[in-house]
Amino acid sequence: MSEAIGTVAASTEQAGREAHRAHPGAAVYVIVAVFLAALTAMELTVFYVSALKAVLVPVLLILAAAKFAMVAMFYMHLRYDSWLLSGVLIFPLIIAALLLISLLLLFAYLAHHIG
Amino acid sequence: MTPLARRTIRRASGFLASRTMTAEPFARMNRLAAAAPLMAAALALAGCAASEPPMTTLAPKSDLAQWIYDLMVEVTAWDALIFLIVVVAFTLAVFFFSTRVGEAAPPSSVASDLALEAAWTIGPALVVLMISIPTVRTIFRSQPPVPPAGSLEVKVIAHQWWWEFHYAGSGIATANELHIPVGRPIRLALQSADVIHSFWVPQLGGKRDVVPGQINELTLAARVAGTYVGQCAEFCGLSHANMRLRVIVESPEQFALWAKLQQAAPTALSAANAAASDGARIFANSPCTTCHRIDGVSKGALAPDLTHFASRTTLAAGILPNTPESVARWIANPGAVKPGAQMPPLGLGANQVSDLAAYLESLK
Amino acid sequence: MAAQPKPLPTESASYLRGGGLLGWLETVDHKRIAVLYGASALVFMVIGGIEAMLIRVQLWSPGNGFLSAAVYNQIFTMHGTTMIFLVVMPLELGAFGNFLIPLHIGARDVAFPRINALSYWLFLTGAIFLHLGWLWGGLPNAGWFGYANLTERYFSPGLNLDYWVVGLLILGVSTVLGGLNFFVTIVMMRARGMTYMRMPMFAWAILVSSVLILIAFPPLTVGLIFLLMDRFFGTHFYVVAYGATPILWQHLFWLFGHPEVYVMALPAFGMISEIVPVFARKPLFGYPMMAYSLSLIAFLSYGVWGHHMFATGMGPVADSAFAITSMLIAIPTGIKIFSWIATVWGGSLRMTAAFYFALGMILEFTIGGLSGVMHASAPVDLQQTDSYFVVAHFHYVLFGGAMFAIIGAVYYWWPKITGRMLDERLGKLQFWLTVIGFNGTFFPMHFLGLWGMPRRIYTYGAGLGWTDLNRLETVAAFILGLAFLVMYVNLVRSAAAGAEAPADPWDGRTLEWSIASPPPSYNFARMSEVRGRDAFWVQKYGRAGSRGVAMFMAGQAPPAPESERAAPAQPVHMPAPSIFPLMIALGAGVMGAGLIIGWWRLIMIGAGAAILAAIGIGFEYPAWGEEPRDPESAAPGGVDVRKVGVWAFLGSECVFFASLISTYIVYKSRNAGGPGASILEIPLTSFSTFVLLMSSLLMVLALAATQRGDRVWERIWLVGVAVFGLVFLGGQAYEFTRFYREGLALQTDLFGQSFYTLVGFHGAHVAIGVLWLSVLAVAAFTGKLGKSRALSVELAGLYWHFVDVVWIVIFTLVYLMQQVTVA
Repeated sequence: MSEAIGTVAASTEQAGREAHRAHPGAAVYVIVAVFLAALTAMELTVFYVSALKAVLVPVLLILAAAKFAMVAMFYMHLRYDSWLLSGVLIFPLIIAALLLISLLLLFAYLAHHIG
Repeated sequence: MTPLARRTIRRASGFLASRTMTAEPFARMNRLAAAAPLMAAALALAGCAASEPPMTTLAPKSDLAQWIYDLMVEVTAWDALIFLIVVVAFTLAVFFFSTRVGEAAPPSSVASDLALEAAWTIGPALVVLMISIPTVRTIFRSQPPVPPAGSLEVKVIAHQWWWEFHYAGSGIATANELHIPVGRPIRLALQSADVIHSFWVPQLGGKRDVVPGQINELTLAARVAGTYVGQCAEFCGLSHANMRLRVIVESPEQFALWAKLQQAAPTALSAANAAASDGARIFANSPCTTCHRIDGVSKGALAPDLTHFASRTTLAAGILPNTPESVARWIANPGAVKPGAQMPPLGLGANQVSDLAAYLESLK
Repeated sequence: MAAQPKPLPTESASYLRGGGLLGWLETVDHKRIAVLYGASALVFMVIGGIEAMLIRVQLWSPGNGFLSAAVYNQIFTMHGTTMIFLVVMPLELGAFGNFLIPLHIGARDVAFPRINALSYWLFLTGAIFLHLGWLWGGLPNAGWFGYANLTERYFSPGLNLDYWVVGLLILGVSTVLGGLNFFVTIVMMRARGMTYMRMPMFAWAILVSSVLILIAFPPLTVGLIFLLMDRFFGTHFYVVAYGATPILWQHLFWLFGHPEVYVMALPAFGMISEIVPVFARKPLFGYPMMAYSLSLIAFLSYGVWGHHMFATGMGPVADSAFAITSMLIAIPTGIKIFSWIATVWGGSLRMTAAFYFALGMILEFTIGGLSGVMHASAPVDLQQTDSYFVVAHFHYVLFGGAMFAIIGAVYYWWPKITGRMLDERLGKLQFWLTVIGFNGTFFPMHFLGLWGMPRRIYTYGAGLGWTDLNRLETVAAFILGLAFLVMYVNLVRSAAAGAEAPADPWDGRTLEWSIASPPPSYNFARMSEVRGRDAFWVQKYGRAGSRGVAMFMAGQAPPAPESERAAPAQPVHMPAPSIFPLMIALGAGVMGAGLIIGWWRLIMIGAGAAILAAIGIGFEYPAWGEEPRDPESAAPGGVDVRKVGVWAFLGSECVFFASLISTYIVYKSRNAGGPGASILEIPLTSFSTFVLLMSSLLMVLALAATQRGDRVWERIWLVGVAVFGLVFLGGQAYEFTRFYREGLALQTDLFGQSFYTLVGFHGAHVAIGVLWLSVLAVAAFTGKLGKSRALSVELAGLYWHFVDVVWIVIFTLVYLMQQVTVA
């Protein structure tokens, strides 16, 4: 009985402590901003340089994912917050990605096989 | 033997005696619930044994329908087994292996049993496996990517609320009634002129939706000659219920004869048939020509081709028999027969209507 | 405007008393909101039931002229729409979910009481829109799932579907807000000791359903938005002549539609899991597997939607995939059926009306589930779908499953909700009439389907062998109607003069039975530590329940609940009532009316009223960031309830934007010879992207400034973010205007409308963000912001960063990948 109470209370307190342990300063934020700008510049490079056309899609996807992750982890504080919040974002995100991929596959079939 | 099982059997022998004496209202309910499917099954069998319903899925007449039927029987058998297990377990739990309030034995508090939980997880999983293999096999078998060799290809255009058929290669154009030879693969290319419909002739196979903007395919080979009734199976507006069709499966020789007649020019009018001649004149001078095509007379493409109208057994997409009275009734007021029909009443007098009917009935 | 602690009541006043009519209009008490939902649903149940009777009378004989085709099509559409959206969902979630969840987890109310009220008023608004057709214009008439392109104005010119689109959109918002509320409540507001694995199974069911709601409604919203734009703004999302495909609607709809039926089934499962253990006097068998199976069912349910589309020609690979996933769902469902039977096995049964219905549900749902397995096999489905076989299937799972469970729940919880007992004999009479009527109506439909009778037909031919069974079904349907009449008589008699109910009439196992019937508005006077699963049973009988067994053997009544008469020990902090939720719903209604009539000023007025009321709610929060916490609750430390709420909303938004983006990618190459995606300008958009990215930097700096109490920089950065947002919007406006001048209007081609819709909705999100920031900036400048209210800035920041992140995705997929096509 008491061990159940103890466990719940202890874990919530620990989560509370963790949440306030790390708090990035302005410097971190500016560095992230610089990274975001740099990644965007890389994206534009891949777009404009026709020699890179073959790798356009994978490179753009990776760079976009990286920007997404940096904003989520640092600006939206997920890196320093409870895992609960990351889960609340990541689960629907996976669903959204699966939805996108499934629909693209289904419509690709429709276009090529029936049209 | 687990404690649960031991306790269960001990109590069972004690309870069986009391149970058979007690008139439990719930026993009646359970017997009713279990009996209902059986009663209905008997009903169905009776229905089957008598004249079979014209649109039944239980009397397959093509290869496609047969594959589906065989699969359905297999799945139903597994379903029946599971249902039997559930009903027996339920009956035993409610009537035999539990007490009623006020009786001697205390309730157990068993709330888990690993073996049991594993069994009723793995068991259904195996059944799912058993069902999925023939399912996937049938899916691929019934959707060949290319038409089988020697296929007869027919273009089907679904409209609100009638069916248009064009035979590839031969130029035959007809409506609402499809003739196909027995034993030969048929490849239907389904298109829609307006909204989503669904082509369904149950005795010849499952349905395939007819979606505007794409061409869906249905491939089948009929095995038994006969006349089969079909109906649109996707809600398509006001007269969705009035969009039926007939498929006439006949021997290759009969089919060839039919095809030859369809390709020929319309039957010439005999001078003796005054009503028909009058009707022909009325037709040629009326708005009918805007929508309907009669080879050599009019070029309308919005409504059924009437060149060989009299060779069809029904009209208005299968909802009226093809008789002079029905034709007259239809022409006089299409909207009364088929709500929302796009064919307007022409405001003709009764004599003119019957002349028109006579003309149309002469088009064999 | 801030909430004051309520004075200690001298005796436990029922939540039903006090406040007058205004009290009900401005209530935020979850129990009152539950009663509002329940009463409304009971009214709609009568309407939906009459619609069913009309259908059955029309189908009495072939060629029957009782209802015309036009009227019949409206009646069958409304029957389905009403039963799903206005009866089952509001009863399961709005009524029972709302009433029970805080009680089950030991909380005083839900996480967001004002949004809870808003959900109800929006529900009522949406329901009214659906029924306006009775008065003028005709009811919706394209089936409850309204397939495009029949729903285009060209094929359905009347007001019928205008009401449908607007009504469903409003209902959708209501439900998503409800799902959000339940999710945050269950995750964040469980009492001390109430771990997930000790929650009542009904709470599990609602938790899982809430997650489903959050991820399943966005595709419906997107599909309805496209239809709305087609019908009102001349776009062609489903118009074939412009290269669109009506299949897009089907995918979007069923991505919602299939999880939706599980949103209806899972709470029903939860109800059965509550009722059976109580009347078998045994704990629920296999609790962990029951919880996991709920989660597995929900997860799988998101991957089966294509089984509604087997006939549409998705190809053998897709058909096979969907067939397999659909069959897999049977496994966790089977686990539940067997576990319930195992719960009954060896129990001590008390045959009450509630238990009858619960037991009936188990058998009836099994039948429905098994016919579902047949549907899962795609080739077999091709004979059964769109016929009366599927009508039988879904009535067995939705009526035999959900409705039986709901009726059982009514008999079980009515004493707690109203403080009165229902008549048990009438209940059992209702049960028998229901069993006969229900099975008599719907079992024969399996055969009608196998004999080829399609669904949604207002009449059928003679000589097809269908007449006799149709007649049998009509007679049985009247018996079923009689059963419901018996129920309403029972409810009315009980409400008027029923026997007073004790706190614990059934010797219950869960916490709602530990307080008075009906409960006081503050729920629990004192929240004891939760010491195990079936928390109240443990309170009464101790951990192993052995005391309970001994008392049962000795024929003793269960002990009175400990906190029944005690008043609260300290001041109770209850959320203050608010009229703003009602105002927002009225605003939404005015907007909908304006759209349908075509009067733009009305839309503006409605939107303005709704926005002002929303801001009003924001200011009602007692002390932002300082919300006093109930000392007896034990939410996970370090995480604020509102933060979880915002994240849950953002999760839902991911799926919303994914649906819009998918449509864009599918349609982008259908540009009717116009310039297509090559019209997109990278230099200007890169600049806008950079501005938006930098605005996120300013946003975190604003938050940091607020958190350290720096009032000067807090104001500067907040204004900065808003300004950058405006610059971004300016760039968008400039871009849109240029495209328009170059010939790309909203209605020009599918590329254009998909682009404008996707980027336009993102822009609308930015605009709302700018408005939000402006309100915060005003608060900052008037000294009302500051360190203690940093949470408000943080929440706005989360929203703003999310909008930025969505733009990162759009910039990549739309602009930089403009040459890439999929189809």
